[in-house]
Amino acid sequence: MMNNPSPPGVLPRRTLLAGSAALAGLGLAGCGAASEAFGGKTTVKQWNLLAGSDGAVMTAMHEEFTAETGIDLQATTFAWGTPFYTKLVMGASGGNAADVATAHLSRLESLSPWTLMEPYGLDEIAEFGLKPEDFPADVWEKCFSHDELYALPLDTHALINFYNRTVCEQAGVLNPDRTLLETHGVEEYFDLLRAVKEVTGEYGTSLDTNAGWRQFWAWYRQQDGEWIFHEDGYELDDDKALAAIDVMYRMADEGLCPRIADGAQCAANFENGSGGLVQVGNWEVTRFRAFNEAQGLDFSATEMPDFFGNRRTQGDSHSFVLPRHNTWSAESRAATIQYAAWMIKHSLEWGAGGGHTPAYLPVTQSQEYQELEPNAEYSGVVDNVQFDPAVWFSGSAARLANEVSLVLAGVYGGRTTPEQALEDIKGRTQTLVELPNPID
Amino acid sequence: MTTVQERPPASESKPRTIARKRGRITAGGALVYFAAFFLALLWLVPFLWALSTSFKAETEASLGQPIHWLPQDWSLEGYRVLFERGDHVTWMLNSTVVSTIVTVLTLALCVLAAYGFSRLDFPGKKVVYGVIVAGIMIPPQALIIPLFDVVSDLKMVDTYWGLALPQVVAPVMIFILKRFFDAIPRDYEEAATLDGANHLRILWSVILPLSGPILAAVGIFTFIGSWNNFLWPLLVGNDPSIMTLPVGLGVVAGGYGLLYAQNMAAAVLGALPLLIVFMLFQKQIVKGVAGVGLSR
Amino acid sequence: MTTDIKAPDQAPTAEQPPSRTTARAPKRRSWTGLWFVLPFTAVYAVFLLWPMVLGLYYSFTDKSLTGRPVSWIGLANWAEAFADEKAWDSLWNTAWFTILSTPPLVILGLVFALLAHRARKMGWFLRLSFFAPFVIPVSVVTMIWVWMYQPDGGLINHYLAEWGLGGDRLWIFQEDAMGSVVITTVWWTMGFNFLLYLAALQTIPPEVYEAADIDGANWLQKLWSITLPLLRRTTVLVIVLQMIASLRIFDQYYLMAGGGMNLSPENVFIQYMYNSGFVGFRVGYASALSYILFVFILLIAFVQLRLLSRKED
Repeated sequence: MMNNPSPPGVLPRRTLLAGSAALAGLGLAGCGAASEAFGGKTTVKQWNLLAGSDGAVMTAMHEEFTAETGIDLQATTFAWGTPFYTKLVMGASGGNAADVATAHLSRLESLSPWTLMEPYGLDEIAEFGLKPEDFPADVWEKCFSHDELYALPLDTHALINFYNRTVCEQAGVLNPDRTLLETHGVEEYFDLLRAVKEVTGEYGTSLDTNAGWRQFWAWYRQQDGEWIFHEDGYELDDDKALAAIDVMYRMADEGLCPRIADGAQCAANFENGSGGLVQVGNWEVTRFRAFNEAQGLDFSATEMPDFFGNRRTQGDSHSFVLPRHNTWSAESRAATIQYAAWMIKHSLEWGAGGGHTPAYLPVTQSQEYQELEPNAEYSGVVDNVQFDPAVWFSGSAARLANEVSLVLAGVYGGRTTPEQALEDIKGRTQTLVELPNPID
Repeated sequence: MTTVQERPPASESKPRTIARKRGRITAGGALVYFAAFFLALLWLVPFLWALSTSFKAETEASLGQPIHWLPQDWSLEGYRVLFERGDHVTWMLNSTVVSTIVTVLTLALCVLAAYGFSRLDFPGKKVVYGVIVAGIMIPPQALIIPLFDVVSDLKMVDTYWGLALPQVVAPVMIFILKRFFDAIPRDYEEAATLDGANHLRILWSVILPLSGPILAAVGIFTFIGSWNNFLWPLLVGNDPSIMTLPVGLGVVAGGYGLLYAQNMAAAVLGALPLLIVFMLFQKQIVKGVAGVGLSR
Repeated sequence: MTTDIKAPDQAPTAEQPPSRTTARAPKRRSWTGLWFVLPFTAVYAVFLLWPMVLGLYYSFTDKSLTGRPVSWIGLANWAEAFADEKAWDSLWNTAWFTILSTPPLVILGLVFALLAHRARKMGWFLRLSFFAPFVIPVSVVTMIWVWMYQPDGGLINHYLAEWGLGGDRLWIFQEDAMGSVVITTVWWTMGFNFLLYLAALQTIPPEVYEAADIDGANWLQKLWSITLPLLRRTTVLVIVLQMIASLRIFDQYYLMAGGGMNLSPENVFIQYMYNSGFVGFRVGYASALSYILFVFILLIAFVQLRLLSRKED
């Protein structure tokens, strides 16, 4: 099953194609056809949670992978978040599920890898050309649990700040080179939003009000806030948490952002010009590009604004994990690891198409990657990205994030004051902390 | 709870004459027809709306477009994408396989057991029968947690057997069949017994031929129940290649974003198999469902 | 739920059991019978009895979905469950769903059956449209209704607005989605009750109306004093079956109002159990919850049986 990897320099770029395919609603069309064409060959079953527009990029990469290696790939996209992780864990517990699955690195511990996942051997991945030093040390560290390697990181992704150049230019908040003005502190950024709101007549920016956790964690971490969990309690800095929540409250209260908007609504606001900026994950770039092709949208993206002295942002890392198998042929396992390695080495495409920052250093250090737009403009996120707190009920789409988001939706909605919200968050967290830990 | 009542045959001829006597259409009768027709139409609205949406182009189906019932441009795009993706067909096949296994096994095992309880005497019979009948009271949903663990230990998660076998446990069917067998006179069997036929033979050639309708009723009821079962297949069918139709449609994210025409095409195709079966065998299904339902 | 069976459409009259008192062939007590009941009993034991025992055991342990070693924790799960407000809230939601859904399901089933019974010439069409939803898989039902419930541009709000009845409801897209789930459920499962009533109506011999006809009674009087009393037992049965079905609410609620897609904080009980065990990994705790549900349903069934048998007397 050995397949000599091509050097990172000569990777294909078909991402725009993928973007327009998504817009046309072709869905997983090609994938199904491909898997039938290669029936009889080794099959790798992959599960992912990329229900967003980056899913189309992955689908395009899968087609290339199959064409290049002859390995049949059956990929399934589950609804993002809890439904996906529930399936992953139950499938792994049953032992007849996927060969490989995507997982957020922040969720690795909560997947109980030492009972539900299979570790990678370092020599095994070396066979397919992956070495530990090819990854950023802090990300690589998070792939280990109980001293075994359970995940291979594909990317880092984070909340970034997209801006509509047309609107922002009118509002006078662009630099001469048409990048967004850099602001310092909440007030400066609010002034910027006010100027943009003048132009749009509706909002300055949009944020996913159903996922308030992300903004909370970014802004709390900008103040060096720590959230440390013990056996029966936790330490949260009330003042800093309140300051972060207050930003949300005031932003929504002044109408600088919508009171209710889920991810799709945020993106729509940005596309139809009711907001001049949008603070969402970098993966939305695929969608905005497609929109730009179809109807015109002059946009770029930059890092999270500096509210409290730096530009830290909330983020995570997509990785590949191997669910436990009752039986697994050596051939199928090798093909699976070959797949993961192939995806990682070809992650330039993932970065270009999905806006993610590849974890594989040979890719990010390549000339080709560094010239990608708008990625170059927010390349600093890699250093600024803040992973969720490390506790078993935390991580992307895990209970801590869900419960906090639930409370913060009330803050955006104007139903809850920041003080009430903080109390509520603390109460809910206490309940979570008191739950018996089912993982170790 | 005897569900009533003499059977129609005895009084078959008389009502006809009465009905004929009142054959003319009264104002009240017309009103009944009108109300029934209107309600039936209302009940069909969700189907019709799904059907209408499924034949629209995605741009025409999307929210914000004015509501209209007939597509301006008839489009099969939603269906085409579904068939190209192919998983819908897989799920339908899985549902067929699982429901067939469940139905065949339920019939086979329950008929055997019901015959045993009805016709044969063996040590411990009362206890075993009592335990099984008591099982009627147990809501299967209350058992999912440990049941998943059992099936997982048997390495049956994500297998057809794991999906099907737990659904075969239908003590109520034993109860229904035993009642029916009990009511079949033994005279028929006695001759056969004297001929030296064994019990399997008696069951096969004496009892079963008399039990056609009840077997059909149990079979139909079981098949529909299994085809539409959601919770158990949701737990034990995690791999999309093993999922049944209801689960696949429920948990696998389809395209990107909300594509309503495609979504409704999936709904229409998902509804179709049993709808067709229902239209073809309406009489039997109505009798079967009402029969099993009434005899509980 | 022991009931006298009347096989729906037994063998032709000629083959009817002449009587139960026919001389019985003396049964030989042998082990043969065991072989007949063994296959079912084995499946029954493995997939029903054993899980019941196992569930009870797990409820005293910290059994986790992750498969780590199990340890005995005594009554901790039970104590937690009885003090778990969310669990009781979800049990109340299940009860509330039952309270809201049972009356319309029973009453509409009866009304539609009466209509279909009178409007015989449309029988096929009426059975089709009233019963067809029942044979549709739940996810198809919820897909269609979620589409109709869309707050902006959905079919329902569109017509409500057109007829001046508002049209700005959020339906399932809000924290309290119960009403919408009930409406969908009524549409989906009413057909079953409809069929039971229809079958019962068809067994009422027309002669029973003759005297009333002669007295010149109108249809309402006949309905009230003849039909409904004759349907009493069916009604009891329908209510019992309906309540048992409603208490098991999970599928449509999970798919419409809480599959993790939105932020709905509300659960019904089986969903809470599912979340505890399969999302939260706490199989031990979820097992304790299962037993609470089990006892709850048993209690209700017991009360129903008592009420029922009193009526039968």
